[in-house]
Amino acid sequence: MPARALTTARLRRAFRRETVGVDVEAVLDLVGAVLKWLGLAFLFPAAIALWYGESPWPFVVSAAVTSGFGWTLEQATAGKERVAPREGFLVVALVWLAVPVFGALPYVLSGEAQLANAVNAYFESVSGFTATGATILVDIESLPRGLAMWRQFTQWLGGMGIVILAIAILPRLRVGGRQLLQSELPGPTETERLSTSIRETARRLWFLYVGLTAALIALLWGYGVAGLDEEMTLFDAVAHAFTTVAIGGFSPRERSIEPFSPLTQWTIVVFIVVAGVNFLRLYRAIVQREPRTIARDEEFRLYLLLLGLGSFALLVELLANGRFAGEEALRHAVFQAVSIMTTTGFATADYTEWGALAAVTIVGLMFFGASAGSTGGSVKVVRHLLIGRLLRRELDQTVHPEIVLPVRLNGHPVDERTLRAVLAFVLIYVGLFAIGALGLVLESFRVTGEVTPFEAIAAAAATLGNVGPAMGFAGPFGSYEPFSAVSKLIMCALMWMGRVEIIPVVVLFTKAYWRA
Amino acid sequence: MKVVIIGAGQVGSTVVEALHDEHDVTVVDLESSRLNALSYRFDVSTVEGNGASRRVLQEAGVSEAGLLIACTSRDEPNLIAAMLAKKLAPQVRTVVRTTDIEYLEVWHERQLDVDLLVSSELETAHAVSRIIGVPAARQTDVFADGQVQIVEFEVETGAGDGVVGIPLREARIPADSKVASIIRGEQMIVPRGDASIEPGDRVIIIGSPRAARAWSEIMARERKRVDDVVVYGAGRIGVAVARLLLEQSIRVRLIEANRERAREVAELLPNARVFNATGLEPDFLERERIGNARAAIFAMRDDAKNHYAATLAKLHGVTFTIAVVHDAVSMEVFERAGIDVAINPRQVTAEELVRFAHDPRTRQVAMLEGDRYEILDITVRGESSLVDVPFRELPMTGALIGAIVRDGTAIFPHGDDVLMPGDRVIIFTESARVAEVERTL
Repeated sequence: MPARALTTARLRRAFRRETVGVDVEAVLDLVGAVLKWLGLAFLFPAAIALWYGESPWPFVVSAAVTSGFGWTLEQATAGKERVAPREGFLVVALVWLAVPVFGALPYVLSGEAQLANAVNAYFESVSGFTATGATILVDIESLPRGLAMWRQFTQWLGGMGIVILAIAILPRLRVGGRQLLQSELPGPTETERLSTSIRETARRLWFLYVGLTAALIALLWGYGVAGLDEEMTLFDAVAHAFTTVAIGGFSPRERSIEPFSPLTQWTIVVFIVVAGVNFLRLYRAIVQREPRTIARDEEFRLYLLLLGLGSFALLVELLANGRFAGEEALRHAVFQAVSIMTTTGFATADYTEWGALAAVTIVGLMFFGASAGSTGGSVKVVRHLLIGRLLRRELDQTVHPEIVLPVRLNGHPVDERTLRAVLAFVLIYVGLFAIGALGLVLESFRVTGEVTPFEAIAAAAATLGNVGPAMGFAGPFGSYEPFSAVSKLIMCALMWMGRVEIIPVVVLFTKAYWRA
Repeated sequence: MKVVIIGAGQVGSTVVEALHDEHDVTVVDLESSRLNALSYRFDVSTVEGNGASRRVLQEAGVSEAGLLIACTSRDEPNLIAAMLAKKLAPQVRTVVRTTDIEYLEVWHERQLDVDLLVSSELETAHAVSRIIGVPAARQTDVFADGQVQIVEFEVETGAGDGVVGIPLREARIPADSKVASIIRGEQMIVPRGDASIEPGDRVIIIGSPRAARAWSEIMARERKRVDDVVVYGAGRIGVAVARLLLEQSIRVRLIEANRERAREVAELLPNARVFNATGLEPDFLERERIGNARAAIFAMRDDAKNHYAATLAKLHGVTFTIAVVHDAVSMEVFERAGIDVAINPRQVTAEELVRFAHDPRTRQVAMLEGDRYEILDITVRGESSLVDVPFRELPMTGALIGAIVRDGTAIFPHGDDVLMPGDRVIIFTESARVAEVERTL
């Protein structure tokens, strides 16, 4: 095997240069390992395809290519026992960039016309793995079942986090996983552990995630069997449970959750709210039976309050317009507010047809997000909470310059470094959003000029926040298809950065990161 | 009685001064110069060495001693000396000085085998709190693993529905609690059935923790808002004072010059307003309206600085100033300079340490109202004349049995209950009667 040895030697020489302070080789090795195992994921849609009498080949080939590539990469590089904090950023950033590339293979290989274009396929795949829920599909229901389920499944895999899954199952990540968990499980404060080993923590998180999914599948399918929801089939139950618990938002239905019964819609709302809670706290509350730790959590309280306020604003709009009344108005208001704020992206009604108050409320809600440590995206409630307290302290200190006021979260002082990081995160987030919106507007001028500024703003917010549906043609029952290829790539970048909480990507663009 | 004292610093010297007349005192210290000074002034024997060493303790004659007082400025050697002494001579009673409130908590839960633990910081804080005019209101102590609680309340006008102003036998007193005493001015009223609690009184309650909460709900009504207090210096004493005042819902502002310490204390005491300032800049005093504070406490490390800051605060309008004194000489200087009260923590601590000269069966005591009343925890002897007498036939004197601990469980006695040998009783009594109570039981 002289050829392989040569490649290896060349790679080593390239990456082992003294001037680079990051062990790129070890990072690639790890990414290879993740991809190698990702191949297994394709077997699920392959089985679905077989069951419905469709061709499993697109999935089987994707599985072979992915695992083969992963295996080769792993062989060609030398791994390391521990992943240092610095390498963690690169691993997370690369995994979330590379996984959707391979996840897009079935879309291209299936010969489905809507997804034949490589950019479209990649967009759909990124939107899937990042649990965003933005789609370029115009006619979703014409998709083969296997492919439709793959879309749902990518969101489920990405929701809890591929890296966390890797920590849970890959034996080699037994020691170095902590840094990875830290950079993937979103949230500003130090990740608490559920167990003394980080690996056990990752396992417990996945256990809870699978448990919630199974519960929702059982409930929804039960509604179908019991005749409580005429539309609900086992396929729908599984498909929607995947993307509910993942706070994803993909649906194999053209009109999302609208066709289902009110009972199903309320059930899904409840599960979204639950999935939007910090999973570490959720585990304590549900599995360890200490519900008080959640009830007293300040982030949880603000999360519920914000959901309530958002719902109320939408309800006022709906009642004022006379569009809906009674339970229906309440249901649509609550569903849309919960779905958008937690960054899910399901819909039971087309909010793009509602009034200005609804439009502004919905785009505003996109900036809140769910709780830290949940499967949701965007800024996250706890950051808003901390920034609010930071501002209050700033005001207090203008009157009393000498006063010393630690910012507290759940009674515990938060250190100043963390506060600075929160502030930096929000500033970068807003900056990226602005740049993204500007990019979309400029690109639309270059091509057709059909994107309005508000639509550009909404699309940037919806993709950076991993929400999914935006405004105008990209609304909940619409499609991102009309955007140009460049616009789609801009949004892929936004979804990617949004999912890994920006910092792991942004640090890669600093000199200090690479310096030895 | 033979008494061994570990530590010949300021606290140790004060203790020696108080005890050398009546007792046979041996002092242990690492420094011979201190020992020489002491033996020159008083008739005491001295041992040079580490008090936490077994050999030194034996040399000091701990095996014949009745009392060991460990009062060096360091907690752990004090504790080790006390524990070793207990092992060497089980009859010896140990009194330990500590600076750490956590040790105090552990001791209250009976996890430390020490007969009395005294914290300089806490004693000083109590002294300050008494002076400010919210004397130990709501001072609480727990006994018998937290099953019995002693609480002292100040009865305010308008508070105490169903309890105040009516004879006690008709008052709606929470279950599992007893009125141990009613203090009216300088006088103590024995709480017979026909006595009543009146506004302005202070009452001492013995009862279960639940009953104590019920009482505080009854008495807390319409508690008037006390103005704010400024504490200069967030050292250990300053923090202890601030904490005690905050517990009494008084607004506290702390001034600390050290940036890190200020931050640390701000994290520790969420309800205090902590300022990172020296407290000596007129601008700061003006801006924060320090002059409007009801009282200012000067607990900085340096007596001269306290002196200056107090004078400056007076100029800015603070009417009541209390200074913590570190050097005995400063006491006079301060009072001459017009500082209203000067407190010497070492003096306060020494007094507290000396108070412990009781019967060996007494396990734990608490003081109320300064030193006028005490709570005792005594085991009943078989030959006591009170054994097997129903409670309703017990004579009503100044002492009152608040609770009995039998087989580890607290009982709040009613008329038909009797005392049994081996019972631990929690007794409230005037300090003057302690010896009498111990004799009777």
